[in-house]
Amino acid sequence: MMTRALLARATPVLACLGLLAVWQAASLVLNNDSFPTAIEAIRAIPSILGDKEALINILASLRRMAIGFGVAVAMSIPLGLMMGRSRTVASFFNPLLMVIYPVPKAALMPIIMLWLGVGDIAKMLVIFLGVSLPVIYHSFAGAKAVEEKMLWSGAAMGLSSAQRMTRIVLPAALPEILTGCRTGLVLALITMITSEMIARQSGAGNILFNALDMGQYDTVFAMIIIVGAMGIGLDALFERMRARLVKWSEPQFDIPVSFS
Amino acid sequence: MAMRPVGAGQRGVRMMRMVCRLILAAGVMVCVLGSVGRSQAQQTIRVGWTIPAEESKYWMMRRPTEFPDLGKAYNVEWTQFQGTAPMTQALAAGALDCATQAPLSLANGVVGGNLRAYIVAQHVFEKPGGFSVYWAVMNDSPIKTVADLKGKTVGISVIGGGTQGPFNMLLKQNGVDPTKDIKLVEVGFAVSEDALRQGRVDAVNMNQPFAARAEAKGGTRKLFSLSQVMPNIVHILEACRADFVDKNPDLVKAYVRDITSGMKKALANREETLKVVSEVLKAPIPVLDTYLLKDNDFGRDPGAAPNFPAIQKMLDIYAETGMLPKLDVAQFKHPTIVAPLQ
Repeated sequence: MMTRALLARATPVLACLGLLAVWQAASLVLNNDSFPTAIEAIRAIPSILGDKEALINILASLRRMAIGFGVAVAMSIPLGLMMGRSRTVASFFNPLLMVIYPVPKAALMPIIMLWLGVGDIAKMLVIFLGVSLPVIYHSFAGAKAVEEKMLWSGAAMGLSSAQRMTRIVLPAALPEILTGCRTGLVLALITMITSEMIARQSGAGNILFNALDMGQYDTVFAMIIIVGAMGIGLDALFERMRARLVKWSEPQFDIPVSFS
Repeated sequence: MAMRPVGAGQRGVRMMRMVCRLILAAGVMVCVLGSVGRSQAQQTIRVGWTIPAEESKYWMMRRPTEFPDLGKAYNVEWTQFQGTAPMTQALAAGALDCATQAPLSLANGVVGGNLRAYIVAQHVFEKPGGFSVYWAVMNDSPIKTVADLKGKTVGISVIGGGTQGPFNMLLKQNGVDPTKDIKLVEVGFAVSEDALRQGRVDAVNMNQPFAARAEAKGGTRKLFSLSQVMPNIVHILEACRADFVDKNPDLVKAYVRDITSGMKKALANREETLKVVSEVLKAPIPVLDTYLLKDNDFGRDPGAAPNFPAIQKMLDIYAETGMLPKLDVAQFKHPTIVAPLQ
């Protein structure tokens, strides 16, 4: 029993080690300058993390990501909930969202650049767009699944429309909303990097794309590992927070992609 | 008496109002933030840059104290771009005031984006006897001449990019139709050596520092270079939006003065330039030392002066190969604001 529990905890680590082993072997077999070994990439990590300027760049990206993610969550949850509870709101926004959803958000960067310039706001808008859609859809699905009877009971007890939304719909939809936020978090990380692909003043993309331009592939892959590790770390933190917030819904089994 | 649930229609209207308020608030926020950005931009020059080969700008970025006016008389808001084409879009949109440009991207901006701009300085060009972008093949390749490229897969850094005009012309001069006789594929400079060695392409274009690295490793040879079809090719220059220059002549003069001074510093102190470039490119000094500011590097005019006749020749080649309509370089000349400015 204990061995099984230990194994379950170690599975994500074993998966990562397995991936690194496959990478190492593939790189040795292919013997390609643009595909360094996993060991070479790992060796380049300390020089990136030890460089003050690189850390400032990574923090600048994370700051933009946090703002973009925060604004997206703050706007998408109420919108998704309203869509879930009102057919009029849903039928108004659904076509708009369906148009925006499949568009690669980085592809919007040149157009956004024309409206908002090349600064932080344009990048945060790209992150906002990347995050908002999954959060809206999950909030919508969560709100739609709320039993009508509960709302009638709330109305019968004298709750106003806004009170029913915050005291009945929001808590009931919370597990679904947080699932959307978890997806949104990963997308925020992806759009954080892609938003820096075309124009940038600072950021993790600075290190990644400069290294790519200069053919320094160990740095490129080291940055990919760092971004991946950031994703795992953020996901683990979020998962902890989610588990606390929706302990009452107690999922029997969750996809163990994080180390939480 | 039991309370009646609110009607669905009424509820929808109320929610729509809430949504409208939410959107309005977000709109106001974006406008406020946008206007803050614009008001800051008025006090500065918004400059686009890229890597590599802009040593004068790298000096300004990394050694600002060497430039008395920089940070005092004016500020620069630096934004790095991936290549010159997105900078052309940003210039045309008014998101940048000055930027690094290739002659072709600048001309495309004029033709397709109604961009009006002045060429105020020049970064690098192909000096006689110096480095010229070239196409390489493997040593044991059966390709011995340009004509042998018929039926082969040829790599180019950017399809439709600045090097393609002279490249197309050279092929035509040697009886090869660039649209029918070869399979042209896009291969970035950074991966060109790999693509060649792995046989993914039969010939590929090489640029520094990758050419120096490939030559040091051996096994490849030069097939032809761009200088064969056109000497003094201007690779990158500095352009500023005409409306910005006309509105802020003193500001742009101060900027061009510093570009001139930056170029002088870069050429005068190679050791320090290696450090500056290494800081910007994050490339080790030993790698840069193999070519930077040596005979196997591009040429740099000591006063960063644009070579307008050479640019005109390039525009003519682009027109001849059907990449652009005929353009006169005179439209890019400002009567007084052009490097060298002391």
